[in-house]
Amino acid sequence: MNKIKRFFANAGKKLFTTARAKVWWLIILILAITVLAGFLDYPKYYDQGVNWLKKTTGIALPEFYKLPFRLGLDLLGGTHLIYEADTSAIPDKDRDDALEGVRDVIERRVNAFGVAEPVVQTTSAGDSQRVIVELAGIKDVSEAIKMIGETPLLEFKEQNPDVGTMQILTDEQKKEMNDYNTAAKKTANEVLKKARAKGADFAALAEEYSADEATKAVGGDLGFITKDGVYSDWYDDAAKLKVGGVSSLIETDEYIGILKVVDIQDSKEVKANHLLICWEGADRCESDLSKEDAKKKIDELKTQATAKNFVDLVKENSTEPGASESGGDLGWFGKDVMVKPFETATFEMKVGEISDVLETQFGYHLIYKDDERTVKEYRVSRILVDKKTASEIAPPSEEWIYTGLTGKQLVRAQVQFDPNTNEPQVGLEFNDEGKTLFGEITTRNVGKPVAIFLDSEAISVPNVQEPIKDGQAVISGSFTIPEAKLLAQRLNAGALPVPINLISQETIGAALGQESVAKSLIAGLIGFLAVIIFMILYYRLPGFLSALSLIFYAVLVLAFFKLIPVTLTLAGIAGFVLSVGMAVDANVLIFERMKEELRLGKPLGSAIDEGFKRAWPSIRDGNLTTLISCLVLFWFSTSMIKGFALTLSVGVIMSLFSALFITRTFLNFIAPWFHKGAWLFGIRKKNSTKQI
Amino acid sequence: MVNIIGHRKIWLLIAGALIVTSIVFVSLWGLKFGIDFTGGSLLELSFGNRPTTADLASDLASFGAENVSIQPVGDQGMLLRFKSVDETRHQEILKRLEEKFGEVEEKRFESIGPTIGKELRTKAIYSMVIVLICIILYIAWAFRKVSKPVASWKYGMIAVFALLHDIGVPIGLFAVLGRFAGVEVNSAFVAAVLTIIGYSVNDTIVVFDRVRENLIHAGGDYENFDKIVNESVNQTFARSINTTLTTLLALVAIFFWGGESVKYFALALIVGIGLGAYSSIFIASPALVFWQELAEKKRK
Repeated sequence: MNKIKRFFANAGKKLFTTARAKVWWLIILILAITVLAGFLDYPKYYDQGVNWLKKTTGIALPEFYKLPFRLGLDLLGGTHLIYEADTSAIPDKDRDDALEGVRDVIERRVNAFGVAEPVVQTTSAGDSQRVIVELAGIKDVSEAIKMIGETPLLEFKEQNPDVGTMQILTDEQKKEMNDYNTAAKKTANEVLKKARAKGADFAALAEEYSADEATKAVGGDLGFITKDGVYSDWYDDAAKLKVGGVSSLIETDEYIGILKVVDIQDSKEVKANHLLICWEGADRCESDLSKEDAKKKIDELKTQATAKNFVDLVKENSTEPGASESGGDLGWFGKDVMVKPFETATFEMKVGEISDVLETQFGYHLIYKDDERTVKEYRVSRILVDKKTASEIAPPSEEWIYTGLTGKQLVRAQVQFDPNTNEPQVGLEFNDEGKTLFGEITTRNVGKPVAIFLDSEAISVPNVQEPIKDGQAVISGSFTIPEAKLLAQRLNAGALPVPINLISQETIGAALGQESVAKSLIAGLIGFLAVIIFMILYYRLPGFLSALSLIFYAVLVLAFFKLIPVTLTLAGIAGFVLSVGMAVDANVLIFERMKEELRLGKPLGSAIDEGFKRAWPSIRDGNLTTLISCLVLFWFSTSMIKGFALTLSVGVIMSLFSALFITRTFLNFIAPWFHKGAWLFGIRKKNSTKQI
Repeated sequence: MVNIIGHRKIWLLIAGALIVTSIVFVSLWGLKFGIDFTGGSLLELSFGNRPTTADLASDLASFGAENVSIQPVGDQGMLLRFKSVDETRHQEILKRLEEKFGEVEEKRFESIGPTIGKELRTKAIYSMVIVLICIILYIAWAFRKVSKPVASWKYGMIAVFALLHDIGVPIGLFAVLGRFAGVEVNSAFVAAVLTIIGYSVNDTIVVFDRVRENLIHAGGDYENFDKIVNESVNQTFARSINTTLTTLLALVAIFFWGGESVKYFALALIVGIGLGAYSSIFIASPALVFWQELAEKKRK
C-alpha cells in the first residue's frame, strides 16, 4: 500500500518534467486515440453504454458520430458501367464540354433511380472518351442500363456549306479497305463452300454469316422476287438457277452475295394505258370538276374511244399529271402493284379491249390493255457478306453539321399546341448559354433551314424566319399527344449531347456481396489472430507488446478507412489483411536488433534505443519499395486494384507509425520493470551469437 | 553460424532450375488470360437445380453463344465465360437459361469490350516495367555510399535478378494452373505480381543493408568478403523468416477463407512472397559473393 502511495506521489511530482512522465502521457494518449478510433469503427457498444447511462442515471450523452464504411461494388452488389461517348462528329475543342454534358445528363438520370451515392465520372483513354457509372446496391441493373441508354440524344444542326464532297482516301485507308474486302472475299468463299456442301442448311448459314440484318433472322428469305420488284438486281442471277440451286459469288462494290433459289412460280403481267378524269377532292387531284361533271365527261370519252385513238384521247383529256407526254402508259406490271379494283379489271380484260368506266379513289378511269405475258418469280434466300466502299471508309461530308447546341443546354421541355393547326408540339427552353447559341445560329441561318435531330434522326427541319433571341424553340414533327408527352418527359430527364455506347459492364449480385463481406471478415480475423499468436509465442513479452500495437494499428487503420474514406473492396480487404502481416515486419526487425544488443550485454533501455536506430534504414527502404509498387498499382487503376493499392498504402504508412511510435512507447513504458527478464525477451541466459 | 555462402552453387542452381522450369511451362502452355485482358463476358449463376456442365454447354451453343467455357463453382454455382455481349443479349441468355433450367440467380456478370481489354493489357505491361525501373533506381540510390568492394549498381542488379526469380516462378505456376485447372491471369494477378516486387525486394534490401553495415564495421577488410556476407545473412535470417511467416499467415487465411474471387490472388502472393524470403537469403547474397569473385579473378 505504501509502495503504491509513494509511486503516485512520485508520479505527481514528476508529472510534467521527466522523460518517464512523457512516456506515461504518451501511453494515455495512445489509449485515448485507440478508444476513440474503436468507437468510430464500431459505435454499437458506446451507444449501448450511453443508453444504459441514460436509463440508470438520467444523464443523456449524445450518441457516437456515425460514419459508415464505404463498401465497394463487389461487397455491396451493384454495377460498374463504362460508356464510350462518340464525339467524332464534334470539333476537338468542344469534346470535353460535350463529355461533361453527357456526365451531367447521366447523373440526372441516375439520380432518379434512388441509388445511394451513385458515381458518374468522365475519363479519357487515348482517343476515346468515357463515362463511368457506378450504381451500388441497385436491384434491377438491366432496367438502369435501359434508362441510361434511352436518354434521348438531342442536337441542333445547321446546313453544311460543302456538303457531299467526296473525300480522297489516304494510303492507309485504301489498305484498310482492301484488307477488309479481301477478308470478306475469303469469308464469302468459305460460306459458299459450306452452302454447296451436301445437306447444307442455308438458312442456318444465313443466320450465322449474313450481314443483312433484315433477313438474317428468317434464314435470308427474301420471298418471291420479280424482274421489276425491290430485289430486281438479283433476278437475273436467280433466273440462272434451278430450285435448290446455289449461285456463285455475286460481287458488287458494297457486298458479296450468295443466292439460293427455294421455289419458282409462274405469274402473269400486263401492259396497259389508262385515261383518268378526276374530280375535286379525289386523291392527288388538281382538277376543279365536280364528280357529276367528271362522270359526264368520262362517259362521253368512253363512247369515242377506240384502240387506235386511245393514246391521243389520253393525251388530250387525262387529268393525270404528265399524261400529255406518256399517253397514260403504265408499262408492264404484276399483281399487288395497282389499287385493287384497277388491278382486277386490268387482269380480267382481254388484250386490245377498252374497259368500262371504273371508279377508284383517284377518279374515273378508262383502261386500254396493250399486252399480257407470263413470267417466272423466284423465291430466294440470300447471304450477304459486307464489303467496305470508299465512302464508308471516308464518308462524304454530311449534310448537317454540329452547332454546339444540344440537349445539354436544355432547361425544360413541355407539350404545347400549334395555335394555327392545334397540333401537339414540344416546346424547348434553353439556358443562357443555349439562348446565346441559338440566337447566333438563327442569326446566321435566316432564310435557311436548321435541323433538330432526335436520336440522330432529323425530326423537324424548320426554316429560320428571323433570329430568335429568347431561347425558345419548338419541335413540331406530327406527334400524337402521348408521343409529344413522352418526348417532353424524356427531354426533361436529360437529353444527351452526343451518342453513347456501353462498352463494359461488371455486375455483382447483392447476395454474392454479402457472402464476400462475411468471408473476408472471417479471413481477416483468422489472419490477424494467427499473426498475433505467432508474435507472442516467438518474441514473448515484446511479441505481446507488438500484438497490442497491432491491435492499435488495426483499429486506427479501420478508422482511417472511414475517415478518408477508402472504398473497401474484396481486394482492398485482402490488402488490409496483408498489411497486418507486413506491419509486423518493422516490429520483427526492431526486436531482432534489440535481441542482438541484449546479447551483447547492453541494458534494456539502450538496447531498445539502439535496436530502433539500427533497424530504421532497413524499415525505411523496405516500406518505400512497397509504397512505390502501390503508387504504380494505383495508376493501374481498375477499381478493384485501386482499392488494394490504397488499403495497402494506408496500411504500410500506418504500420511504420505503429512500429516506430507505439511499440517503442510500449517498450519504453515497461523497460524499468524488466531489468532482468531476459527470458521474456527471448534471450538465453548465456551470451551467444549463435542462432537457430 | 549456418554456412549459406559456402553452398552458394547449390542454391543458385536450384533457383536457376526453378526459373528455367517456369520459362519452359510458360512457353509451352502460355498463360490463360482472363476477360479483363482479352475482352469477353463472365457470368456467375447459382442454380436451384444445377444442370450438368455438358447440358449447359450444349444448350448455350444451340442458343448461339460463342466460345463458351463453363466451370462449376461451389455446390450450386456455375461460372460461364463467352464472347463479349451487349445488354439485350445478356438478358436473352438469362431468360433462356431460366426457361430451360428453372430457378437461376445471377450472382455476377461482367462484359468487357475488346478495347478495354487491350488497354488493360498495355497498362499492365507498362506498370510492371515502371515498378522495376523505380526499384532499380531506388536501390542504386540507397546503396550509393557503398562502392567497395562491390559497386552499388551491382546490388541493384542482383536485387532485380532475385525479383525476376520471385515473380518468374509464380508466373510459371499460373501457366501450369491455367493449363490444368483453368485458372486465369487477370488484373488481380498483375496486382499480386507488383506487390511481390515491392515486398520481396524489401527482404533483399534488409540483407544488403546488413552487409553494408558490416562492411563499414570491418573497415576495409575485403579479403573476407564471403565471410562478412555469410555473417550478415545469418544475422538477418530469423528476421527474414519471421516477417515472411507473419505475412504468409495472413495470406493463407485469405486463401482458405477469403472467398473464391481472391483465392488465386492470395496464392500468387503466397508463392511470390515465400520465394522472396528464399531469394534474399539463398540467391541475392550468394550471387553477390559470386559476382565479386568473378571480378576478383578477372583482376588477377
